[in-house]
Amino acid sequence: MNNIMGIIFASDNESKLNELTLHRTTASLPFCGRYRFIDFALSNFVNSQITNLGIITRNNYSSLMDHIRMGRDWDLNRKNGGIAVFPPYVSNSARSMNRGKIEALYSILDFIKRGSEDYVVITNSNIAANIDFDHVFDAHIAKGADITMLTYMAQPISSRKAAVVKDNDGRITQIRVVQTPSSVLTEMSLNVYMLRKDLLVDLVVDSYERGYTDLEKHILQPGCDTLKIFAYPTEGYVGVIDDVKSYYAESMRVLDTDLRNDLFTRNGTIFTKVKDSVPTRYRPGAEVNNSLIADGCDIGGKVINSVLFRGVTVEKGAVIENSIVMEGGKICEGAHISYIIADKDVTVTSNKTIGGYETYPMVIVKNKTV
Amino acid sequence: MNSRKKECVAMLLAGGQGTRLYSLTKDIAKPAVSFGGKYRIIDFPLSNCINSGIDTIGVLTQYQPFALNQYIGNGQPWDLDRLSGGVFVLPPYMKSKNSDWYKGTANAIYQNIAFIDKFSPEYVLVLSGDHIYKMDYADMLSEHKRRGADCTIAVIDVSIEEASRFGIMNTKEDGEIYEFEEKPKKPKSTNASMGIYVFNWDKLRKYLIEDEADSKSSNDFGKNIIPDMLADGQKLYAYKFSGYWKDVGTINSLWEANMDLLDEGSGLNLADNGWKIYARNTAEPPHYTGRDAVISNSLITEGCEIDGDVVNSVISTGAEVCRGAKVSHSIVMPGAKVCEGASVAYAIIGAGAVIGSGAKVGKEQSGKDGNYDISVVAPNYTVKDGGVVDAGAMVE
Repeated sequence: MNNIMGIIFASDNESKLNELTLHRTTASLPFCGRYRFIDFALSNFVNSQITNLGIITRNNYSSLMDHIRMGRDWDLNRKNGGIAVFPPYVSNSARSMNRGKIEALYSILDFIKRGSEDYVVITNSNIAANIDFDHVFDAHIAKGADITMLTYMAQPISSRKAAVVKDNDGRITQIRVVQTPSSVLTEMSLNVYMLRKDLLVDLVVDSYERGYTDLEKHILQPGCDTLKIFAYPTEGYVGVIDDVKSYYAESMRVLDTDLRNDLFTRNGTIFTKVKDSVPTRYRPGAEVNNSLIADGCDIGGKVINSVLFRGVTVEKGAVIENSIVMEGGKICEGAHISYIIADKDVTVTSNKTIGGYETYPMVIVKNKTV
Repeated sequence: MNSRKKECVAMLLAGGQGTRLYSLTKDIAKPAVSFGGKYRIIDFPLSNCINSGIDTIGVLTQYQPFALNQYIGNGQPWDLDRLSGGVFVLPPYMKSKNSDWYKGTANAIYQNIAFIDKFSPEYVLVLSGDHIYKMDYADMLSEHKRRGADCTIAVIDVSIEEASRFGIMNTKEDGEIYEFEEKPKKPKSTNASMGIYVFNWDKLRKYLIEDEADSKSSNDFGKNIIPDMLADGQKLYAYKFSGYWKDVGTINSLWEANMDLLDEGSGLNLADNGWKIYARNTAEPPHYTGRDAVISNSLITEGCEIDGDVVNSVISTGAEVCRGAKVSHSIVMPGAKVCEGASVAYAIIGAGAVIGSGAKVGKEQSGKDGNYDISVVAPNYTVKDGGVVDAGAMVE
């Protein structure tokens, strides 16, 4: 749909992702063996013909720039539109790092106004889902909504999730920030919104002038009465990463073939940066079950219930259980890891045994040798 | 077209029908045939070119060119989408006076003299699109220049028994070629031509024009151009290549080259970041190995779902091996599916083919003198549930 532009917030929840976002934005957090979170937002936009995109970054954005380059791997190296990346301090008026989405959007008002599109989709980048924005748009028009808020069903296990209360027609009457984690399946905001561009500009300018910073807290929560905000329940697999625990849980969930097929094929292909790795080599003695393995791995040991990113080496006699090993990892002979999230280029030397717990997976930071 | 001067232009002969690959090349040209899980044969010469610093390549196609054209596209996967140069697909075309299919390898280059002239190159590198190898053409070119040759031909040492299957270059001690024998019954040497030539463009241009004027000529490099140049006393040199090289023009050689990927002693190693082989990527998720899978000594590519037994095999992008299925010593090409309980041994399963539940393709064998009876299932063909394809049989 060429009448919609997209805006992606590359940073969110970073403080809760601890070591995993020490060197990167949430958007460039690796997921599912060969992807980064932003691949889902970019691919969903491209598959819905939304090709004029702005990406707002706060810090640590070099890994993101390296991943996106000119956007060619998503077919976003366009003469018209394509990707514009906005680092902090992008405008003269930005005297400090933006303190929230309202300030961030205010700093790129010129970009938002410049495009010929009438509508805009705003999204966070901690979401793995395969979303067709054409359907969202149809629902937006059919409901006569001012704002369409994408929602999903989940247990609010980490706090600060926004639960929605809606009427029979699907209009949101209240947005409540959950303070106590609960195991009750609840409809929550995905932090993805569709609205008219001119409405967004009005809301952002008005709120900025009043000194407001937080889009959810200062515009949406108090706006339920005056704005027609409709919920759009997102279909299929939705993975939202709020902290290390949910990152681990969602990584394990995609081992389910039905959920994975849903994530990768529901509406269109999920694209990512091409790295030209060779196919993965299984050596005699390899033993691999219920695992996702990217290209370029060399496996001589045992891998169970795990995700291996590109170029991971598993030596003979090594065991990887219930773990995630990111690109370039090396698990040496006789080493045994379980409930581990090993960031890029981690080496676990021979005969070391390390493990976390399912409820508390242990993170080994980038480039470390254990 | 921006045609800044280029020192060397590569011309890749990709028009061969590949009849000895039978059903695998029924709908696609030989260079577009799948290899090694995620590659196509043409990825090797294209990647060699870019890794050797040659960024201007004409790809000569005429047989079933559609899949190949689409695959090459703008050349981006090989970093060949350039403002000046890049990759150009060159099918035969209508000219004002006459037009013709490419009659032979030399005629294919002859018909594209105007294309090459646009880049005013000093040298032209002629390559074929049916070999698996990694080679630094820049080194060959510098040898060519150092010797002041008119033509340099890459040769590889083969056994004396094999020599009668190749074009053999008989050379003096310093590598100068004094005689060329096509498939000699009694070979004098074991320098087999690899079908890779560097020519001084002005010389080659002259010989192509003369060859075209000769109505009796078969317009072929091996049969006409090289013997003519030798007869005229031009300086032809052999360039010795010692790495892995294989002509994959037959079912057995294609199968063997894939098996060589599994054998670390074969010399064919693609996991070398200093000389990457690039391929057009299909954006598939990582492969999934299920709870019942048993995999040994095999290559598995992204997008695969494996829940059966796979041993000594190459499983290509997006292929599926279901629970209880067994695949051994085989190549499963992209998107093919081996259903529950089926067995596949010593076979090539074409792209998109389906081996029905309980079907049996090929059989385990020990091979006589290294010769195996390889079964072939044509691309997109379905072997019915419980069906049988005998060892060495081909179904389409």
